[in-house]
Amino acid sequence: MNTENGILHIGIDLGTSRSSVSASNGERHVVESYVGWPVDMVAQKLLKRPVLVGREALENRPMLSLHRPLEQGLIQEGSERDQMAVRELLRHLISLVGVNPEDRDGLKVRAVIGVPAEALRVNKQSLRNALKGIADSLMIVSEPFAVAYGIEALRYTMIIDIGAGTADFCVMKGRFPTEDDQRTLTNAGDWIDEQLAKLIRERYPDAQFTIHMVREWKEKSSFLGEPTLPVVVTAPIGGKPTQLDITNEMRNACESIVPPIAETMVDLLSRVEPEYQEKIRNNVTLAGGSSQITGLAKHLQNILGDLGGGRVRMVKDPVFAGSDGGLSIALDAPSSDWHMLST
Amino acid sequence: MVDRFRFLWETGRRDLGRVKSRIIRELVKENIDTIQGRTPRVPPHPLLRISSRALLWVSVSLTLVAASYSLSTITEARREMASPTLSSPVAVKAQPPSLGETASANPESSLPAPQPIDRAVLPLGVQKIVLDPGHGGADSGTIAPGGIVEKEITLDIGHRLRRLLEKAAFDVAMTRKTDKAVSLKDRVGFANAVRGDLFVSIHINWIKTRKTRGVETYYLGPTDDPYLTQLTAMENKESGYSLTDYRGLLEAIYMDVRNNESRRLASAVQTSLFRSLRTINPKVKNRGVKKAPFIVLVGTRMPAILAEVSCLSNKREARLLARPDYRQRIAEALFGAIHSYADSLTRTHQKGA
Repeated sequence: MNTENGILHIGIDLGTSRSSVSASNGERHVVESYVGWPVDMVAQKLLKRPVLVGREALENRPMLSLHRPLEQGLIQEGSERDQMAVRELLRHLISLVGVNPEDRDGLKVRAVIGVPAEALRVNKQSLRNALKGIADSLMIVSEPFAVAYGIEALRYTMIIDIGAGTADFCVMKGRFPTEDDQRTLTNAGDWIDEQLAKLIRERYPDAQFTIHMVREWKEKSSFLGEPTLPVVVTAPIGGKPTQLDITNEMRNACESIVPPIAETMVDLLSRVEPEYQEKIRNNVTLAGGSSQITGLAKHLQNILGDLGGGRVRMVKDPVFAGSDGGLSIALDAPSSDWHMLST
Repeated sequence: MVDRFRFLWETGRRDLGRVKSRIIRELVKENIDTIQGRTPRVPPHPLLRISSRALLWVSVSLTLVAASYSLSTITEARREMASPTLSSPVAVKAQPPSLGETASANPESSLPAPQPIDRAVLPLGVQKIVLDPGHGGADSGTIAPGGIVEKEITLDIGHRLRRLLEKAAFDVAMTRKTDKAVSLKDRVGFANAVRGDLFVSIHINWIKTRKTRGVETYYLGPTDDPYLTQLTAMENKESGYSLTDYRGLLEAIYMDVRNNESRRLASAVQTSLFRSLRTINPKVKNRGVKKAPFIVLVGTRMPAILAEVSCLSNKREARLLARPDYRQRIAEALFGAIHSYADSLTRTHQKGA
């Protein structure tokens, strides 16, 4: 394995819906944040493994007790299963970059793990406990901060990281962000999924679909404003596969996320010292899976227009922006600091 | 010209490098603080900057006092082991905060990971608490101009409060855990069916005078205040009760024996909310403990209150409600009040025993 002096630096973005890992040996991977345990002996025999992670877990969900460990951006306090799920997910991610978590063979692993800002605030200690032994040394950071660091947007920037469970806001002012520089909303991807499911159910009461199907439809066709093509999906009605036009439902569900995000963006901006507000208005960056809704950046930019104009852009690589940022932090932190952060 | 650009570029990179180093230093410090179970460091108040010699004397004296205290405690403990009693629960429950001091305390950062406590060992009058996040589903409650919706805020605060209560070993039941419509009748039925010891309904106020902000807490009773009559009618909308049911319920209002307990709980909640929120919302008004015949207070069979924890009609409070730390503060204030009320019952029982 290609490592420097027997040390592997890793950045991990532990998301509600997807988690990604970037390592200093050049490996980069993304997995769905699902962990599942076979529900009974029969399932275990069929699946031939005690635990499944990622897409494999999602695809075999009828046979599994399925967990999304950071649902709503938090580890459920006191839930041993959720803590175990976080550990399993991390072990899986680390194994993907070529490290055997059981036997590291003298290799030192230094990891920076980005988590939803709310989890960092509420579950900081329990997160550290859950992650003990996963790596030799460990730093936990908030996801929007990791993104900001990775793209070197450290001064006069606002990062809006819209994931599945939460939308995290972080204003960077050239220093480590305090709680006042950050906000979290629970109006994010999952919320759009719920709205979309509700709207489709209202229009097609007999259609049969699951939230997982709705999530896939959204990931494929979400948009704001005018659609380029009608959004037509297939779902059974009375057992017969039927095409459903959900263009309006998709637009309405996606639009529902705009007011809370715009409100929080403007509120955070208004708290910045007046002389820096314009700079930050012109440096708003969207990251996270749910920021990929077509037209969202333009919509938010129009809202900033009412405040004197601004610029909202998408981060170049939304899937890996968080884990790449974590890797940058891991590589920039001096070795002397890493010694103090051993798990 | 090229040299000038190179100079500017190199200066920019050097500055960025300095910013990165500073940020990494602060990040590492924050992580080390978490490992060591400390809250993030803040510069000490000038009055607290005492000389190292004075500090040494203080610590020596404290060590001596602590040593003598430990010796007496050990002796006491041995005596207690010889003749076991049920007095220990008071010590077990020393951890949660009391009224008004819930705001910035973060037990996670200063204590080891919390372990669930078996509530059966605690002889408390309050074990199960029913939380009722107001509105839900098609009934959004009030909506602020920025799109903040009452039903979402009440649910979020409800979950935060649930986590705090569960950590302190209370049993918690919620009338709704997701964004779904539950009629007031079903909420009442649920609270009675799960045999809750307390019922806490969480709402956000909407007041016509937009400048008004504040908190108010209700318990069951009649009202002739036109504002309260209007508010009650609004919150009692879509109750699911028929007129006959409603009349029967109203008849029970004035002979309700649990009302005194409801009033005490309402008073604890109101004090805690006001004390806690005014630290970050200095203009918050203490709108007091009030009586009103809200359906959820009428039909429930346990001490019950309805807290209007802020005003969505006020722009400033609506903005604050969008902040998770403000919602957490509200949840902590409610938790402090419930805990304090439960403790007061325990003390009463112990005195009476």
